[in-house]
Amino acid sequence: MLFAAGAIALAALPYAGVPPFTITLLTEAFIFAIWAMSLDLLVGYTGLVTFGHAAAFGLGSYAAGYFAREVTADFFAALLVAEAIVVGLAVTIGFVVTRVSGVAFAIISLAIAQVLFQIAIAWRPVTEGMDGLVGVPLPKIAGFTIDAGAEFYLLTIATLVLVYLGLSRLVASSFGRTLQAIRTNEERAAAIGINVRLHKWIAFTVSWGVAGIGGTLMVFMKAGTTPMSLHWSESGNVLVMAIFGGVGTLFGPMIGAVAFVFLRDEFTTRFEAWQLAFGLVFVVVVLAFPSGLAGIFARAWRALWPTRS
Amino acid sequence: MADALVVEELSKSFGALRAVDGVGFAVKDGDVHSLIGPNGAGKTTVFNCISGFLRPAEGRVLLRGEDVTAWPPHRLIPAGLARTFQITKVFGDLTVLENVALAARSRLGQNLRMWRRASKVTSANVEALEILEMLGLAENASANADHLAHGDKRILEIAIALALRPRLLMLDEPTAGMSAGETEHIGKLVRRIAARTSVLLVEHDMEMVLGISDQVTVMTQGRVIASGTPDAISRDTNVQDAYLGALDARNL
Repeated sequence: MLFAAGAIALAALPYAGVPPFTITLLTEAFIFAIWAMSLDLLVGYTGLVTFGHAAAFGLGSYAAGYFAREVTADFFAALLVAEAIVVGLAVTIGFVVTRVSGVAFAIISLAIAQVLFQIAIAWRPVTEGMDGLVGVPLPKIAGFTIDAGAEFYLLTIATLVLVYLGLSRLVASSFGRTLQAIRTNEERAAAIGINVRLHKWIAFTVSWGVAGIGGTLMVFMKAGTTPMSLHWSESGNVLVMAIFGGVGTLFGPMIGAVAFVFLRDEFTTRFEAWQLAFGLVFVVVVLAFPSGLAGIFARAWRALWPTRS
Repeated sequence: MADALVVEELSKSFGALRAVDGVGFAVKDGDVHSLIGPNGAGKTTVFNCISGFLRPAEGRVLLRGEDVTAWPPHRLIPAGLARTFQITKVFGDLTVLENVALAARSRLGQNLRMWRRASKVTSANVEALEILEMLGLAENASANADHLAHGDKRILEIAIALALRPRLLMLDEPTAGMSAGETEHIGKLVRRIAARTSVLLVEHDMEMVLGISDQVTVMTQGRVIASGTPDAISRDTNVQDAYLGALDARNL
């Protein structure tokens, strides 16, 4: 109920006099929220920390953007193509990378993202190198063009809601609980008959697939993308969003992404070294509340409604 | 009927150390069978080779006549084999009930169900609660497993394994770090469990082993030196020299 009311209130913002610039920021924040939640499935629920999650997002952007420009701007067609490519690659590399865990997994995932980054620079006929993919048209749904601004914002919110509900359901399912068992104690999980590698492989693939949805929205929003979308610093940003918000909650990474986008906007207009300012906020929040912004919210909630927890 | 478990000529080395050297024994259906020996005798290595956590270099493991040598755990469990760990490995940040329900759902083939809420898999929850009641942990069902006392965590280990409805339950030193009173309690639980499943017990506590076992196999330095009833084992001079003597000397 609370969630539905929140979603409706957010959807009404463009029609309640909120300036277009804020709507643009919110759109970007909600796209990042989808990406950060996809990361949470790996980091917070399965216990696989990745330094290369930009790979899934950036690849989704390139695939959807190229298809939309060259073939058709239909949103669902572009999304389908992007998902086929992202999920296809995730199944393939996931089979290999989920054989390892811990630091080895983090480093291999970083290496894979860097390989894609280099391909995006070098494969000029398709990716146009460092210049990046440009001229991606506005998306169409059932023949109608989705305008930038309020309409695209609504499309993003609708997608975010579906992704959030889907992932919430997934983590509460038997499968989701077995992921949490693997995160807590991998050896014990194996000893109750959980096929640990198969579960990690599926979680990896789902996580990439969801990140690809975010990447698709982003390439339409920005009308293009560059190799920087695959850069390791982007993988770092999404980890910061998730940890800042509180991993293992889905809700946390979502608000972490929103906080990240708005704080970044605030700090870049004031400081030359905005990362320094944001880093300070990040460190203070994470030290004071190891469970992130979601932990602060949960505590405030319990303080307000002591009987309901 | 085939024996619950047969181990034949099992060997495993770590570098130059031959930790297990041609070990063989059989667990009869319905028995509590104990594997004992001084520290470093290779008991835990044997245990890990049987339960799929280590790959034996040589030898065979037969579960009810079926060759299951080097099967991974997720295949051994449907085949009827479950184990506990010497070092407590419960799922600390999940509730006690969820610890056991996870295992029950795993046995029910629910692991890959991605839509139905886990909390709605009633049969698993009911079964988990039943097991907790049998083992006396029911009042802690909704507590986080981390918050249990050490002795209760050891019992939760057994509860998790029981939810897999094994036909052979392997217990790795269930009384490690327990007081004498708790050890006696575990001993009684093991006898009660034996009504449901055969038990292979790796144990240090000699008194408990002799009290509750149907059969005992004694290992030292990677080899079996004796196998038989508790009575026969306590009279065996080899065992007295190699193991009981060592224990007595330590106790002096």
